[in-house]
Parts: sequence; structure tokens; C-alpha cells
Amino acid sequence: MELAACPECDLLLNPHQAAVGENAHCPRCGYLLQRPSKQSIERTLALSIAGLLLMLPANLLPLVGIKVLGTSHDGTLWSGVFTLFSEGMWAVAVLVFLSSMLFPLLNIVLSLLVSFYLHFNKPNKYLSHWMRWLQHLKEWAMLEVYMLGIIVACVKLTSMSEVKFGLGLYAFIALIVVSGMLASHLDGYLFWRHIRRLNNKL
Amino acid sequence: MKTNANALSRGLVRCHDCGHLSKVNTPHCPVCNGHLHPRKPKSLQRTAALLLSSYALYLPANVFPIMTVTRLGSGEPHTIIGGIFALIDSGMMPIALLVLVASILVPMVKLLGLSLLVFSVYFNWPINARLATVVYRIIAFVGRWSMLDIFMITILVSLVNLGGVAQVIAGPAATAFACVVVLTMFAATSFDPRLIWDNPNAYE
Ligand SMILES: [Zn+2]
Ligand SMILES: [Zn+2]
Repeated sequence: MELAACPECDLLLNPHQAAVGENAHCPRCGYLLQRPSKQSIERTLALSIAGLLLMLPANLLPLVGIKVLGTSHDGTLWSGVFTLFSEGMWAVAVLVFLSSMLFPLLNIVLSLLVSFYLHFNKPNKYLSHWMRWLQHLKEWAMLEVYMLGIIVACVKLTSMSEVKFGLGLYAFIALIVVSGMLASHLDGYLFWRHIRRLNNKL
Repeated sequence: MKTNANALSRGLVRCHDCGHLSKVNTPHCPVCNGHLHPRKPKSLQRTAALLLSSYALYLPANVFPIMTVTRLGSGEPHTIIGGIFALIDSGMMPIALLVLVASILVPMVKLLGLSLLVFSVYFNWPINARLATVVYRIIAFVGRWSMLDIFMITILVSLVNLGGVAQVIAGPAATAFACVVVLTMFAATSFDPRLIWDNPNAYE
């Protein structure tokens, strides 16, 4: 039996395949080692396709709008980035663009690529690169934080104008739900085991 | 069987990315071809440098206005704390509390907590390693939520753009604050929690 080690305390472990619904924690530091999910690869594939479809309306349709003196203004994900950029706040604009648009998209595209190749049992020499990028990007996609920002902004705006929610907001919320499910169904331990098996076929 | 040894003390190195164990001094992981290091390279130095830069930027982030609200021609600059007071004044306590936690408390706890972790490793303080690991995990988890203020301003500047009637413009503190968030997130990822367990004086 092959050994494993805990990533956060380096304790040497004798891994056992955890059953679905069972969370395997490190006995020394409590790190969550494995959280297997049922049909992890298929669910990841299905969720990333759903996420990809939601990406376009969430990015382009208005999220929220205000109505002042008879004229209404809508805000999309993209218009926020664009306004910051045109005000000369390019550093903030780039950060917002990356964390609310590019990284969430890459997150879904990479999940799609990896789960696609694993599902159809096709080896690809970039599989481990994609998986590595996916793991590093995860914490930089911040859709749910953006949602909280929308809520706070709306509360601030209610004192000066009428606030209405756009169609894009529903797509955006759906995208957050899909991304959250994607994160909980993607079983990294299982994925790496399959990638390893496929890499041997190369 | 329960082992009680560090992988490194048995001559094994864990791949950061795929978790595969290799013998010490193997340059690349045989599974994913990633670089192998027993611990994150120069973890303490990198974390300390990133923390120092964050401390330096924390001051302008809180002193300068993060946004300016113009209504009918008269501008009103808001600092982060000023924005929280404005929310309290308009009777929105829960939201004010939320912004206080995300913009003031979280960055402060991150900076101080990570600094203490770096000190505890560097000076081999006798600390509870399990507790310190939990502290590290919390710091790594909450960091991204500080972006709340930046996202809120992004939405305000794009919506409240009505020329002379009302306009919101982002201020210089926004850039400084964004840098603090990014730098502290990098500081958290460059710190290697296994160093806590390598400390000979730490206990479980
Ligand atoms: Zn552990
Ligand atoms: Zn590897």
C-alpha cells in the first residue's frame, strides 16, 4: 500500500479510500484530506457545462439598475471594470476583472477540460497542468464575495434612488450556486489518481 | 496502522499539487512533473516580505478616501471608516457591521495572525501546533472576503454616474486597499503550515 502525507502537517499516513459521504480528516491537525462525492467526474462535467452556459448572461446582462430623475442606469460586471479603468484606477480594474470575470471563467473551463478527458478516458499531456492551474486559481475566483458587494451597494443606494434587479443577477446567482457545487463535487484525490493512470498510458 | 512520523523525517517529499510522495532530492514529481520541495521555498522570508509591504500599505488604505460621492456638485470624500459611520448614521447597523468585519477586522487579524505565526516558527515559540494550524486555516479562508469593499465600490462607480447630479469616484485608498488584500492573500499562500509542526518546541 502506498503512503501519503498530510499537506498541512506532513504527517505520514496510510491512506484508505474513504467512502462516499465520509470525510477523511488528518488525525493530527484535522485537515480535510478527502471528501469523496458520488460520480465526481460526471457531476463535475455536467456542472461545468451548466456554468459555461450561465457565464455569458451573468457577464453581459445588467445585474442591478437605478432610476434617478426618470433616467435609469444599469450596471453589468463588465461596466464596473470599464468605469474603474476609465477613471484611471487601472490596478483595481484589473483585479476586479480577474477575480470576477476571468478566473471564474478559467475555473469552469479547466474543470470542463479535466473532467471531459477523465470521463472519456483519454490521456492528454496537459491534464496535470490543467489540474494544477485549477487548484491554484480556486481561491482567486470571488463571485460570492462580489454578490455580497452587490448587496451592500444596493443597501447604500436605496437611500438615494430606486434600485431594481436585472436579469443578469439571476444568472449570476445561478452561476455562484453552480460554482459552489463544482467546488464540493470535484474530488481532487480521485482526479489525481485518474490523471496518474492516464499519464501512464501516454 | 497509525504512523506518527513526518514524511520528511522518513526521507519522503510530498508533491504540492498532486500529493504524490517521492524520495528527497527528486527534482520533479513523476506523476505531474511539478517541482518538488520538502517545504515551500523561502516560505518565512517571502511571507515576511509580503507582510511588511501589506503593513506599509495598510496606512494609506485607511487614511486616504476610498471613494468620493458627489451630489449636485459638492463632493464628499469617504474613508473606509467614514463609509462605515455613514452606514451607522443611516441606521443600517447589520450592513455596517458586515463592512467593519470585512474591511477592518479581517485585514487586521490576517496581518497580526500571520506575523505571530512567522515569529512563532522563527523563534521556535512553544505553541499549540494544532491551534496554530487552525488559526492559519482561518486566515487563509477569510482573506478573500476583504474584497467586499472593492466590489461594492466597483458597482457604485458604474451605477452612480449621472454627471452633475450624482457621481461616485473611486479614491486612491481603493488601490492601496486592493494591494493589501492581494498581498496578504499571497502572504497566506506562501506560508507553509508544516513549519509550525517542524518547530521542536511546539506541542500538540
Ligand atoms: Zn495533518
Ligand atoms: Zn505531483
